[in-house]
Amino acid sequence: MAGMYSDAVRLRCRDPRRAGSWPDGTRDVGTGDRGSLESGAWAQVQVHVVGATGLIDDARFRVFGCSAAVASASYVADAVVGVAARASGLPDADAVADALALPADKRAMAALATEAVRAAVADWEVRAGLGTRVSGLEGR
Amino acid sequence: MSTPRPIYLDHQATTPVDPRVVAEMLPYFTEHFGNAASRQHPYGWKADEAVDTARQRVARLLGARAKEIVFTSGATEAIALALRGAVAARRDRGRHVVTVATEHKAGLETCAQLARDGCRVTVLPVGRDGLVDVDRLAAALTPDTVLVSVMAANNEIGVLQPLPAIAAACRARGVWLHTDAVQAAGHVPFDVEALGVDLASISAHKMYGPKGVGALYVRRSPKVTLEPQTVGGGQEQGLRAGTVNVPAVVGFGAAAVLARDGMPAESARVGALRDRLLDGLTRAVTGLVVNGSRTARLPHNLHVSFPGVDGEALMTSLADDVAVSSGSACASGSREPSHVMTALGVGPGEQWGALRFGLGRGTTAPDIDAAVNCVAASVGRLRAMSPVVAGVRG
Repeated sequence: MAGMYSDAVRLRCRDPRRAGSWPDGTRDVGTGDRGSLESGAWAQVQVHVVGATGLIDDARFRVFGCSAAVASASYVADAVVGVAARASGLPDADAVADALALPADKRAMAALATEAVRAAVADWEVRAGLGTRVSGLEGR
Repeated sequence: MSTPRPIYLDHQATTPVDPRVVAEMLPYFTEHFGNAASRQHPYGWKADEAVDTARQRVARLLGARAKEIVFTSGATEAIALALRGAVAARRDRGRHVVTVATEHKAGLETCAQLARDGCRVTVLPVGRDGLVDVDRLAAALTPDTVLVSVMAANNEIGVLQPLPAIAAACRARGVWLHTDAVQAAGHVPFDVEALGVDLASISAHKMYGPKGVGALYVRRSPKVTLEPQTVGGGQEQGLRAGTVNVPAVVGFGAAAVLARDGMPAESARVGALRDRLLDGLTRAVTGLVVNGSRTARLPHNLHVSFPGVDGEALMTSLADDVAVSSGSACASGSREPSHVMTALGVGPGEQWGALRFGLGRGTTAPDIDAAVNCVAASVGRLRAMSPVVAGVRG
């Protein structure tokens, strides 16, 4: 690994797969975000869930932050596609950080992204009438 | 013909060693390997002669005399010697040092160390243009002030401090003036007599010389006396003990000659390229902000902010195409804003998208045009996913 970041991080910064967003209120979409601009890192993940199957069939992200934040959000958005929203298959922060070979002081960015995707799923559940808002896990 | 990638625009971090410099250095690794302190035989004489020549060359670059040049391992050591050495030598006069908030960490942290050792340190602010107010500096001088330390040119934003006016204020009160001239020497005219500085720290690798060698100019008239910070050898007029790095010093001398001879044409050339870069970026990227004075500035520096993007992510996105530097560091998900940008009054949110472009001898117009295109594409890509540009705040 040359420099601070792995090729996986560098590639996602150059080609941030699944970057983008659906407009607020888009059907079957849950939106979650974590972090703040004030702290220098903010990530939003949206999941599109097929109601009949409960599978996430698409995901998008927006992010402000360092390379690790960009790569983590992109990786997580990729990783949740095909996963059952209500099952336990959502990526965890350590797995994301390991997959991207994040430096120790950047692993928090993986947690930011995975927390955002959990918030997105929680938001979808509320919108789909399957859950209730839980403090600290609100979507947008 | 396409330019090599990544295009190197980080010449303020370091410069490639000029092949002519390498050629002059090489014999001093092999056949002329002597220790310059070995006075007993021709190996030592040859090395000593080479060091003398280099000393004259470096002195000429600064408008100084050879005896006023002390070779060090780099500018950081030179700065430490200047600050700590001056304070120690003037302890009978007082223990007050004045510096500026935008100084390099080598200066600021040495001042912090002096403060821990009982010195009183005044750190002056700068304006939004990055320049220190000379009247404010003069007002900060007190009878116990022994030293003022102000950079000639800032390493991040490239602004040139008004050294002659600062020197006049210092001299009127018998205060010595040290300047960190690492970024200025060899790039813009820097004459210790014209500027009126008493101590000046410089580095070879910022001017196409080798890494690991620097120098401290120490004025002889009126005489500035330093207390050495390393002892046990007596080298460098007793001010810096330790075997002189002869090949590196030879390279420094060669680099100084090239810098001096080429300076007028080269500074004009890179200045024009810098302006071309700014014009191109301004056209291609909306909202671009230039940090620091646009006029009192090194010709090869451009420091700009791209609102809505993170400079570190931008650098990574650019890494295969353009090698640049970001002013701020990020760790643990929290940010450590650039102390320079903070001193300018730029808030963390605004400064995270800042990049420093450092042009150099190898930079060409096609490089600049290619860099503009790459930067614009990367900024566009990052802005497309940025909540700042979309007006959404997390």
